[in-house]
Parts: sequence; C-alpha cells; structure tokens
Amino acid sequence: MASKTGADDLYQQTSAEFGAALERLAYAYEVDAERRQDLLQEIHLQLWRSFEKFNGRCSLRTWIYRVAHNVATSHVIRQNKRKRNAPPFLTLEEAEVEAQAGRDNVEISADRNLARAHLLTLIQRLDFVDRQVILAYLEDLDAASIAEITGLSTANVWTRIHRIKSVLTRQFHAGGQNAL
Amino acid sequence: MPCDDLPDDMKILWKEAGANRPMFSTDQLRKEIGKMQARRRRGNLVLSVCMSLFVACFTMSFFFFPFSNTLTRIGSALSVLVCGGWLVLILREGARVGSDPGDTPGVRFYRAELERARDSHRGLLWRFLLLPPPFILLDLGLARALAKFSPFVAPLMWFDGALVLTAFLIYAPVKHLRLSRKYQSRIDGLDANLRSSGELDKTKENLP
Repeated sequence: MASKTGADDLYQQTSAEFGAALERLAYAYEVDAERRQDLLQEIHLQLWRSFEKFNGRCSLRTWIYRVAHNVATSHVIRQNKRKRNAPPFLTLEEAEVEAQAGRDNVEISADRNLARAHLLTLIQRLDFVDRQVILAYLEDLDAASIAEITGLSTANVWTRIHRIKSVLTRQFHAGGQNAL
Repeated sequence: MPCDDLPDDMKILWKEAGANRPMFSTDQLRKEIGKMQARRRRGNLVLSVCMSLFVACFTMSFFFFPFSNTLTRIGSALSVLVCGGWLVLILREGARVGSDPGDTPGVRFYRAELERARDSHRGLLWRFLLLPPPFILLDLGLARALAKFSPFVAPLMWFDGALVLTAFLIYAPVKHLRLSRKYQSRIDGLDANLRSSGELDKTKENLP
C-alpha cells in the first residue's frame, strides 16, 4: 500500500500519463458536458484515494482502468435514477439487428470528428459489460488485462471484442450508406 | 468517402479524442473531499433534525395533547416508532460502505451496484408502506376528538388521511416497486448475458 505522499506522487504521475484516456472514458459514459466534468473529477478523486489501497496484485494500468470504469458505472446508475426516460442500453444482438436493418441514420462524412462522434454514440449505447471491453480494447489493453478489469475470462473477452468490433463496423457502414 | 477509417483505424480514431488532459491537483481533490463530507454531514443533520422533530411532535401529542383518546395515543406511539426506525435506517444506510472500485472487477461491481439500487428501492417501498397506518390512526383519533368543537375539523382530518394514504400507501410504493423491478430486470439481463458465455457463476462468486 502506498503512503499518503506516495499516493500523491503516484496520482500526479498517472494523471499526466492517463489523463486523456480517462477523459475519453468519461465521454463514453456521460453525454452531458457538465455532468461529464463531474464524472471526470469523481474518477480522479476516487483514483487518488484508491492509491492508498493499491497493493500491486495487478498492474497499475489495470488498477486505474478498473477504478475508472467502476466509478463511471456507479455514476451512470445514479444518473439513471434521476432520468426517467434514459435511452435503453443495447445488447450486442439488438445492436446487430439495428445495424442490419440500417435504421441507424446518423450521417457519416469523411470528417473524422463526425466519425469519432458516431463511434462514441455507438459505444455509449452498448451495455456496461460490452462497453468496458471495447473501451479497454481501444486503449490498447491486451485481453488478459481486460479480463482482469472486467472479471471475464480471457477467451470470453476475445469473443466479445471480435463481436463488438464487427457490430460497430457494420453500424458504421449502415450509417455511411445512409449518408451517401 | 464514409467509413473508410474503420475498422483498422478505430483505435487511432478513438485516441484522437480526449486531448485536453484535464489535471486536478491533489489540493483541489482534498478540497473536493472536504466539500463532499460537509455535504453529507449537512444532509444527515437536516434529516436527523426533521425526523427528531416528527418524533418529538408525536411524543408530545401522546403525553400532552388535551383531547387525547385511545386512537391518537396508539397512532402517536406507532408514529414515534416508525419515524425513529426510519431515522436509524437512513443513518445506517448512509454509513454503509459500497464495493471497493479498485478491488472489484467491473462486471461484479456493476452487478453489486444494481443490487444495491434494487435493494434501496425495495427498502423504501416497505418503509413507505409502514408509514401511513400510524398517521391515519392519529388523524382518525384527532377527527373524533375535535369533531365536537368544530364541524370543519373532521373533514379536514379525513382529507389529510386520504392525502397520506394516496401519497405514502399508493404513489410512493408503486413508484419504488416499479424502480426495483427495473433494476431486477437489468440484473436478469446481465445474468442472461453472462450465462450465455458461461461466466455467471464466476461473477457471482464472492459478491461484496
């Protein structure tokens, strides 16, 4: 376990290294800009506090993503209590059906900002388990680390990554054809 | 030329976002923790004062109300018990520590949070169901005791009783029942998802 000053140093170091990744994670969990800032602050806060308990049983990177995902999960569940008409999360099967039906009418242009926004929208609609898996994958974590973060088996993580990628790609193409 | 970035470019596309690298100093975080603790303390204090006032009012109506009859006495005694019970439960729930976000894998944490939300609504459902009977007894007792002084008091008490009945015995429990079912259906959905990939038992092990 890290001492208080050790936790402070560790936090400063990881905040500089993973700050952007944590911001992307906050984007994937919270649509509203103001609440996203609150979420980001909460993630940083809990991360800083958690370093006092960090025992080195997993890598620091795994620890950081696990804390961040769990804090974001709590945040979304808390927010959902307040929002009556929150859009439902999609299972992969539902997302596949949606992609095949070509009902996703978000226009995609060559503009990478729009493409990224579309990717974000698709990720935000995935359920928590799939969202955690794909976000960790997009941050270059290997299957074993993703398994440690989520608690799934490595084989299951691979299967999910494959399926989510294929669904996201198909949804992109469906959106693209609609735009053309 | 839409979508030609995908799927190989998905990671690059994703990483182009979040370039701001927001920084929070540890002093800033310490201040934020101080604010959070102060907010929690203030909330607990307000709640405790309100519930204590209720308890005090009902206790006074038991001992000092000049027109007390059996119904008001039973109603006020039960109200004291119910409000006191609410106060203890609320304070105990506030002090309950949730799962550790660093030590708990994501899926297990998600399930535990859903269970916590479901249980919280179930708890509220029962607490709301227990609240109206003592109030209504008290109202009925007062309506009887005060009817001889003014013809307007009894209907007022009946109206008050009906309001309590509607708010606490119908509206609030139905709302919390609906919400607890919503969370239960999410838990079932998650379990079905995990069962299909053979992960359910592993995730349920050592649930916090």
